[in-house]
Amino acid sequence: MSREEEARWADRLIAGDPSAFRDFVEAYKRKVYGLAYEMTRNHDDAEDISQVSFMKVHRSIGTLKPGLGLNAWLYRIVYNTALDHIRKRPFYPREALPSLASEPHFDGPRDPAPGPEKAAEAACLRRRIDEALTKVTERERAAFILRHYHDLKVKEIAQTLGVSLGTAKCYLFRSLRKLQKELADAETCLDTGDRP
Amino acid sequence: MKRCRYWRKRIPEAIYGDLDIKTREKLDRHLAVCERCSDVYSGMAVTVRKMDARPAPDRSPQFWEDYWDRLEGRMAHEMEEPDGAQAGKKGHPAGVSLRRRRAFSVPRWAYGAAAAMVFLTLGIFIGRNLLRPPAEPPLLTRVMPSEPAPGGQPVLETGSAASPLAVRASRYLKRSRVLLLAVVNSDPRAEDVFSLNLPLQKKMSEELVKEATVLKKELRSSDRRLERLISDLETILLQIANLKSDADLSAVEIIKAGVESRDILFKIDLNVVRRSAGKSIVGQSLGPWGENRNQANVKAAAEA
Repeated sequence: MSREEEARWADRLIAGDPSAFRDFVEAYKRKVYGLAYEMTRNHDDAEDISQVSFMKVHRSIGTLKPGLGLNAWLYRIVYNTALDHIRKRPFYPREALPSLASEPHFDGPRDPAPGPEKAAEAACLRRRIDEALTKVTERERAAFILRHYHDLKVKEIAQTLGVSLGTAKCYLFRSLRKLQKELADAETCLDTGDRP
Repeated sequence: MKRCRYWRKRIPEAIYGDLDIKTREKLDRHLAVCERCSDVYSGMAVTVRKMDARPAPDRSPQFWEDYWDRLEGRMAHEMEEPDGAQAGKKGHPAGVSLRRRRAFSVPRWAYGAAAAMVFLTLGIFIGRNLLRPPAEPPLLTRVMPSEPAPGGQPVLETGSAASPLAVRASRYLKRSRVLLLAVVNSDPRAEDVFSLNLPLQKKMSEELVKEATVLKKELRSSDRRLERLISDLETILLQIANLKSDADLSAVEIIKAGVESRDILFKIDLNVVRRSAGKSIVGQSLGPWGENRNQANVKAAAEA
């Protein structure tokens, strides 16, 4: 989403356009849900967090200042809501957290690789990535997800997480280093018989 | 190494294409000369490519079609019940957190500050009341039967608060000592005998003899040593009081011999040391003449 488009959304919301909020929800629901899911790794929680985040946006739209980044503001609301949710939910051991690839309702685009062997290999890689993402801290994971899947710049990531620019860079670097370490032997997924 | 740390932090931005051209060129130049940073860059680039294999989480089209309806329904529901109780019943922690924060918005640091205050208060309370060393009992130095308490019990003289009798005795000894020193140290052969100023010393001796009688009565048997010393002093003071006004060198010599034979000055010093030692135990100042004087007395006593 370009800066102009973002500013247009912000202006519409601030102006109190009756259909603006619904359009805004339709435009952003996948992104909001995606970040909430990455933070909680649970679809029910993700839906709950995304709905609460949109309600917060609806209530506090008056606090949004024209010209400021709508994306960073929105993601900050989602991120904080997700953190609150994580802190309040009952404790689950990390091993008990559901894996994204192992869930049947993971409806990502179909792997275009031909043949069952290639498909199994891709699924194995996804599972390894999911496992690797659990090894990084919440902040580091959020920094990576916001950059990789939501295309936020480092400055916006810093605003979203409420940290300095240098700290955001550090989170991004550390998350990538940890993922690199975890995925170092991901190519050998099939050879070792590690199947989803 | 410092440059490496700087450039490594920028590698993710370079991989995602967020660096401007100039910075990118500088990074490339660094990567060309730094093998370790180059390895980090290539490793991260491979990782980012691998991550592309995992698409963003998504749901079925049906889920997204009904999303607005569910959100609208929930918003309407929340409007009807602004206390957010329903959200809590349905097990929505996010909704609960939203409501609770608005209803009771105490910042988190306030809890920390309150806890710190409680611990501090508790620490001060424990330090003052539980860990304080037990108060030392007052040192009992002397029983003073001459001044009975209203209940009939003898008054105990503590080291910290001397009774008037003890103070009077101390003053008496001090004055007597000065007088004796003046008499004993006079040398008729070297200086004028009248430098003794006998009329004054005789008058002083008369006063001291009168006071000695009273003191002896009051002391009785409570401090026999002091009573004996005052008796000896009384004898010497009587001799001084009976000196003739004109030069009576033989009488002065007799007085000197009497003072020496009875060790009067030594006994006075000893008494002072005794009193000072009793006071110093309870942390009070030493003796009527202070510490230095006391040390001088001990020295003088040793010499005697």
